[in-house]
Amino acid sequence: MAEARLIQEKVRDYLQSKLPQARALALSNFVQAAGGWSHEIYVFDAHWNEDGQALGRGFCLRKDPGVGLLRELSDLKEQFLVIKALEPTPAPTPKAYWYEADPSLLGGPFFVMEKVAGEAPNPWSRAGKQFYADAAKRGKLPSSFVEALASLHNLDWRAAGLEFLGVPGSGKDFAQREIAKWEGLIEHSLHKPEPVLTEIIMWLKANAPAAQRLAFVHGAYRTGNLIIKDDAVAAIIDWELQVIGDPMYDVAYVLSDLNREGSPLLSCIVGREFFLDYYQQLTGLKIDLDVCRYYEILYMMRSTAFWLSASGLFAEGRNKDLRLARTTYSVPVVLDMAARALGF
Amino acid sequence: MISAKQLLNEIVNSLRNVIAPAIDQPYPKAQAHMAAVILEFVSRQIEERADIEQQKDFSLGALFHDMANFAEISRLNDDKAEGEMRLCGLIERLYEERDRLGEETFTAANQRIRQTLRQMLDQELKIAKAD
Repeated sequence: MAEARLIQEKVRDYLQSKLPQARALALSNFVQAAGGWSHEIYVFDAHWNEDGQALGRGFCLRKDPGVGLLRELSDLKEQFLVIKALEPTPAPTPKAYWYEADPSLLGGPFFVMEKVAGEAPNPWSRAGKQFYADAAKRGKLPSSFVEALASLHNLDWRAAGLEFLGVPGSGKDFAQREIAKWEGLIEHSLHKPEPVLTEIIMWLKANAPAAQRLAFVHGAYRTGNLIIKDDAVAAIIDWELQVIGDPMYDVAYVLSDLNREGSPLLSCIVGREFFLDYYQQLTGLKIDLDVCRYYEILYMMRSTAFWLSASGLFAEGRNKDLRLARTTYSVPVVLDMAARALGF
Repeated sequence: MISAKQLLNEIVNSLRNVIAPAIDQPYPKAQAHMAAVILEFVSRQIEERADIEQQKDFSLGALFHDMANFAEISRLNDDKAEGEMRLCGLIERLYEERDRLGEETFTAANQRIRQTLRQMLDQELKIAKAD
């Protein structure tokens, strides 16, 4: 389509400005990824000549479309700075190359990072479920899944320069901040009262747990947000929801039924007992299952906030992506999960 | 929940303006256009389900009636707000005044509210969840 060609030309021109020594710069395999709800994602290979040598490199570009999900809560510059900060650490992440705030270049802020070799099958698709089930049987990927999560939670986030994300106070402050964040998105999105959601939010406020310790938390650690190569996590991606907070928040996400739709394996890849044992061994943390159950309900509230925001964008005509429309039916389903978890 | 008519209209637009133009082969392209035409007819055939809202209103009415019998709770009930907005306000005030009310009263009122919430949720799940 003409629009895609135009974007490709603009990206090529931008890349040329960043690689001034490159001669005969050309892009190939230029694809807009179907995933990604909050940003447009373009993946491509670049080839050029430099000092008589033929060179090539894969890139991934994330762009703010202006009307994506979580626009108010997911800042591209922050994502870029997080990936940059993680580069020298053991956490597997792509290399971050350039961030551009100037909307005149591509129509919105964007950043460019390394295209990591591998694949990130969607765990909700039939093919994805099969991919993870097969990998689980081979045994290497489940270990790698836990090790990559532990690499985040063992990170010295102050030394890595990640304090700019905001550091919660002691005790219940982290949980209270998260509730407030997602309550803000709900208030921004909601056009009619949702009493079930009100009950869930009030319960969450009344039962907030104290954080065991503060760690660097991904916020959406699951299969689908990991690039897999040779049965190992080659890169953790989707840096949109990271916070300094309670590591049990990530653990709860792994334990959650939200991420395994029918699979007996957590996140469709790892057995529960193995995950609990190996994670505790790698981090020295004790998994508090009561706290995790609390965070699972917080995730259900967060998911409700996502879906209300998504369907609201669609209902208002600000975003025509039918995937957003579909989420209008997800709201009662997630509220049902939360209500059942609370015993009603 | 987004209305069925609005959703159908947007699907028609997507079939015409996004999906069909991206299809090169004549047969699937014609199928996409025809699906849009048929959905426009379907859109005129359907009616939004009124029974769901009626059932929710009935559950809410029964709750507010029962709440009037809780002496300590009835004053938390804001008669100015209506329907689900009124229930949201009641839930918030119940939690805010939990200490004053005492655990026994709070739990009794909260359980009665949760019973209504479940009834309302079950109504919405008639559409959102396959049997």
